[in-house]
Amino acid sequence: MVVKCEDVWREISNYFEGDIDPALKQSLEQHFTQCPRCQSVRDGVSNVIKLYGDKAMLPLPAGFDARLQDRLADQFNGRKISRRAWLVSAGVTGALAASALLAATLDRFVPQPRAKMSQPARRLPERLVAVVDGGKVFHVPGCPFMHGKYHMVTADEAVREGYTPCSRCMYEALRSAGKLTPGVEAEEIVRNDKPVNDGNPGG
Amino acid sequence: MRASPPDPGHEHEATLIVRIQRGERELFYELIRPYEKRVFVLAFMILRNEADAEDAAQEAFLKAFKHLAQFRAESRFSTWLIQVAINEARLRQRKSHLEVMRPIEDQENEDGTHTPRDFADWREIPSEALERKEIREKLVAALGSLAQKYREVFFLRDVEHMSIEDTAVTLGISTGAVKTRLLRARLMLRDLLAPGLDGVWAGHSQIPKGTKPWS
Repeated sequence: MVVKCEDVWREISNYFEGDIDPALKQSLEQHFTQCPRCQSVRDGVSNVIKLYGDKAMLPLPAGFDARLQDRLADQFNGRKISRRAWLVSAGVTGALAASALLAATLDRFVPQPRAKMSQPARRLPERLVAVVDGGKVFHVPGCPFMHGKYHMVTADEAVREGYTPCSRCMYEALRSAGKLTPGVEAEEIVRNDKPVNDGNPGG
Repeated sequence: MRASPPDPGHEHEATLIVRIQRGERELFYELIRPYEKRVFVLAFMILRNEADAEDAAQEAFLKAFKHLAQFRAESRFSTWLIQVAINEARLRQRKSHLEVMRPIEDQENEDGTHTPRDFADWREIPSEALERKEIREKLVAALGSLAQKYREVFFLRDVEHMSIEDTAVTLGISTGAVKTRLLRARLMLRDLLAPGLDGVWAGHSQIPKGTKPWS
């Protein structure tokens, strides 16, 4: 069988695979002895296969294994993660329960209001309020119903000290802060011993 | 001529998989450890970037873990894992729009015979040449310049030593297509590397370079 160079180029891959008819293989080998070009092709392909097939060709990047293990650990030690998550949520729940308990305890020690006719505030503005020395009510600074020297405390402190909110300036402040809807009367701030019926249109 | 490497403990693997599927997750690392490099290099072949390849390889392992329940024992784990990795790397490649830089060879007709260039007198390159980083880089760059379909086939067959049949199954193409692409890939790589491989890399630099036997 006489083969041409084109046949060699078409069959060279199969030649290295050993996936070739023995007669053709013999013809190719015969051709190689006479054709330096095809020899070059054969040796080149042989080198390509050998070099790329070498384990040293593409080393893993340094630290690859460790990084992979880390990532896998994150993924399938889900139990560990959920245990940690459980601890966090347990902690949060505990803290909430404790604060609720504390609040309930504190509730029993609601300070005696300084103003006899007034009820302590239930809805507190998150802000500093003005307490007039010797007064009974706390105000938004600049309230026209506030007279004399005053000092600033947090609303929380003021309530604990037995001060009650000014039914004018504090009411306005709460309403503009969106804590009260316009329909709610000022007395809600000062008299909150009955439940507010916000959701009832007939009320 | 070169047989596929023996299956690394196929039964051991099957046992591991069953145990992992039953909840012994820690064993997953043991299962994939022999394939770490294969998956990375495969991703590298497709993405041509080390950082992307590492990320894609990690992601492929995570996906393999998540979908291990879908693995059917009748197929080989290695084949399945490689498929997962190929999918992951291809997905990323599409995302990164690297395909814009698709080499022109891709447009060529697959049936067309490749005509070799540069018929320098190649002598055998010793494996020690691979200890030189610049040679490895040249090899990687040459392979990276091929179109993806050639890279994938060449990688699985000649880098990973998978059989022609397994390569075909893994890539979902016919064995004929594998053979055609393999031939072209090998010849193209030979052309690309000829200037370096014709004796210079072999350490025979005392031999005049570029001696063409017919000139």
